Amino acid sequence: MNAIATAHPSAALTHQQRSLLLATLAFIFFTLLPQFWDNDGDLDSLANAMSYATLALGLNIVVGFAGLLDLGYAAFFAIGAYYYGIFTSFQVMPPWSESWAPLATIGLVEKINQGGPDLVHFTLSFWIALPTGGLVAALFGVLFGLPVLRLRGDYLAIVTLGFGEIVQICARNLDWLTNGAAGLNGVQGPKLFGYRFGVHAEPYYYVGLVLVAFLVFVSFRLRGSRIGRAWMAIREDETAASAMGVNLVHYKLLAFAMGAAFAGMTGVFFIAKLQTATPEMFNSAVSSMLLVMVVLGGMGSVWGVVIGAVLLQMMQTWFLPQMSVWLHDIGKMTGSPMLQNVDMVQWTQLIFGVILVLMMLFRREGLVPAVRKVAPLTMEQQTAHVVRGGFQGLDKIGRWTPGTGVALDIKDVVVKFGGLVALNKVSLQVPEGGVVAVIGPNGSGKSTLFNVITGLVAADSGSITFQGVELLGLAPHQVLENGVARTFQNIRLFANLTVLENVLIGEHARLTTGPFGAVIRPPSVVKEESRATEWAMNIIALFGNRLTPRWDQPVTALSYANRRRVEIARAIASRPKILLLDEPTAGMNPAESLELAEQIKSLHDLGLTILLIEHKLDVVTRLADNVIVLDHGDKIAEGLPDVVRKDEEVLRAYLGRAGGH
Amino acid sequence: MTAGDLFLQQAINGLSLGAMYSLLALGFTLVYGIMELINFAHFNVFMVGSMIAMLVLQAFGLSGQQTILTGLPLVGVLLVGFVVSMVGCGLIGVFIERFLLRPLRNVKGPAAMITTIGVSYILFNVVLLTLGTDSKNFPNPLPPIKWEIGGAVLRMREVLIWGIALVLMGGLTYFVTYTKLGKAMRATAQDPEAARMMGVEVDKVVMSAFFLGSALAGASGMIFGLYYNLAKVDIGFAAGLRAFTAAVLGGIGNVPGAMLGGVLIGLIESGSGQVIGAAWTDVVIFGILVLVLVFRPAGLLGRLAPNKS
Repeated sequence: MNAIATAHPSAALTHQQRSLLLATLAFIFFTLLPQFWDNDGDLDSLANAMSYATLALGLNIVVGFAGLLDLGYAAFFAIGAYYYGIFTSFQVMPPWSESWAPLATIGLVEKINQGGPDLVHFTLSFWIALPTGGLVAALFGVLFGLPVLRLRGDYLAIVTLGFGEIVQICARNLDWLTNGAAGLNGVQGPKLFGYRFGVHAEPYYYVGLVLVAFLVFVSFRLRGSRIGRAWMAIREDETAASAMGVNLVHYKLLAFAMGAAFAGMTGVFFIAKLQTATPEMFNSAVSSMLLVMVVLGGMGSVWGVVIGAVLLQMMQTWFLPQMSVWLHDIGKMTGSPMLQNVDMVQWTQLIFGVILVLMMLFRREGLVPAVRKVAPLTMEQQTAHVVRGGFQGLDKIGRWTPGTGVALDIKDVVVKFGGLVALNKVSLQVPEGGVVAVIGPNGSGKSTLFNVITGLVAADSGSITFQGVELLGLAPHQVLENGVARTFQNIRLFANLTVLENVLIGEHARLTTGPFGAVIRPPSVVKEESRATEWAMNIIALFGNRLTPRWDQPVTALSYANRRRVEIARAIASRPKILLLDEPTAGMNPAESLELAEQIKSLHDLGLTILLIEHKLDVVTRLADNVIVLDHGDKIAEGLPDVVRKDEEVLRAYLGRAGGH
Repeated sequence: MTAGDLFLQQAINGLSLGAMYSLLALGFTLVYGIMELINFAHFNVFMVGSMIAMLVLQAFGLSGQQTILTGLPLVGVLLVGFVVSMVGCGLIGVFIERFLLRPLRNVKGPAAMITTIGVSYILFNVVLLTLGTDSKNFPNPLPPIKWEIGGAVLRMREVLIWGIALVLMGGLTYFVTYTKLGKAMRATAQDPEAARMMGVEVDKVVMSAFFLGSALAGASGMIFGLYYNLAKVDIGFAAGLRAFTAAVLGGIGNVPGAMLGGVLIGLIESGSGQVIGAAWTDVVIFGILVLVLVFRPAGLLGRLAPNKS
């Protein structure tokens, strides 16, 4: 690695180590707290704060990581709560029959008699309910997410709002199951080796602390993994995420389910602590409070949402009541009856609204932003080792061994937008290992051609095969899995992520880590991650000093030309068999254009097949074996660059005049 | 009552609810059509409209249903009530747009939507803290004239509600179809970029959409009061969710669609209240919303706003 380059990813540990150290100290502090702070009321409200922190952590996965605005999140909290409540109280008691006996022997039910026939009393253990409550809520998350997660993000907000309301309506009206508005009574508290938790706050406080610590850990593990990157990619740009191999429905559902699981577990904990459950505990005010916690702390920021949850809980249980007392005192001193009767706690929701508006207007990233600020490069770093010409270090990324024959075969593809025919029976072939350029005036259908190949636009008829596989009808991520990677004309990077993260998302389809692997991080996952990072850094290093020193910067901090380079790097990272470049040199000056042309040429020399949309004829002439000319959706010419340049019809379409002056 | 009478009665009720939801849905559809933004503040702008109307009627010395007015005084009081609640809500809408949403116009992501949620809480809680949570008796000066059609009853308030809704919707349709600003609005909904290049002042268009939408919410709030004889701080949520469903059902961004959707939702609500029970109405409405979004996201009449990605 270049000495001028800023720290390699491995050096970033210092930051991680620092936050790990802080986390450990905080955990030790809170573990010891009950020893010197023996106030049951305070511990109780801290335990409640922990419940809200775990809920906020779950909502943060949905809203902060995956960018799905869920306004009915309390529904999953309610599902977990009622699950535990119903299976430990005397609410639902089916008649006893011998088929219940096996469950009785493992302690899940017992036979009781309240005068009349024998009944079944559910006695689900808290320790079983905690994980299974998460599972049940996750199941509901999938069930409700499945129809609506295909919708655009803003519809999701209102649908989740309605969903939250419905769960509450059910809790209020299904009397036989939930005892309606009166609420479930007689919910059992947890027992551990014969020790009953009872009604004192301390044992719950410890369970809450462990739960927060566990979910913080899970959040961090997910965030730093292939799963977290896929979520953040969806949040930043759905289209680009799917074009880079992320299965949108799958990952949105996963986020929804994971968030729901956090809420379900919290529901079990919350109800075990209160030993009662009423519909009001899960109303829309709870969903809104959780949203405020996440927004205040910082969407996507794990520590942020924990801090947001604790701050808001402190505001409600300590600061506002205390402030009312002060105001009453002031009222007595000044003789103002208005101040004497003020109850600041009633202002809570108003304050929530004000927090939301002010945060959005003035500090959208929250109190503890998820994205760290990175120092800009020094002049020295920027100017050192600028290299012109082809790629550096190509040997590190291996070679492609193209087959023979046709790689990409497009036949009679028709795409219509309403009455407009964007592509009219266009056919073209890209041979294995070839470079084909598509040119044509604006609006001639070039980008539509790319969109139809990569599954972003549906074709009305025709066929597109790549190495014998039909691409039409595949989702964008499946197209990428088949080895077709693209860039976009109007750069679509994941704006709030770093250069390295962007390139790593390109690798998404080539990696295998799942959610459990991401959390547990067995050696195989560690190895896969470090290989993925190394490969990504090698690809970033292809662009020499242009990108390498900037690997840790958010892409918004990059110049236009560098963003184009990152987009190409991201596409290469997916190990494509064919690279589709949509005007890669647009907006670059002549020197940069030629530099990029050289780099594309060196990729081609390694054996990569390339389909290119380009306006700059010198670039096309330098690179392409074959040129296709589109005009108004029709293919009007095809041939060697020099031949096409002189074609009468091309000149008319392109330059608006007949050839030959 | 025979089944036929019952059906007729529920149709009368449903049309009145529908008139209210249509007016409210128009506000969602105007703003969504132009900005692709679900304006959650709209829920409670409606509620504030209802409160303003109540205060205006009370200022005329009306309280409850004891004072009955006829002739010119009745027309005058109703007119002032509608105008003040509409202008009041319109100005709230303009304030929200100008000072809270315009700074976020070019911010990607959910920031604008979260802001409208925040504004919605603020409106709700300001009313809660000043007027309280109790259900208030909304003054209704309408004479108790009613007509019996078979076993069903048609009251004067229903005829009045239909009339006012028709006038307002007709006015809006004329506005968006024939006036310069209305055409600019439709052009912006189709393609904001192109509209801007053709000299449309997008700021003005967005602000007018907020004014008109919010003003219609104000009218809708007054209708709610006249219909139910009550005003309450938490009426915004259920009415808003139904109106939004109406907008989606008709095709969001589509002005006639919102009107049609509103009437349909009104009829569905009164029908399902009769058949399934009022406690489950929200579930039915929400089910419709999900079904429409999943199977026919363009709504019945198609959405006019193109997909801007």
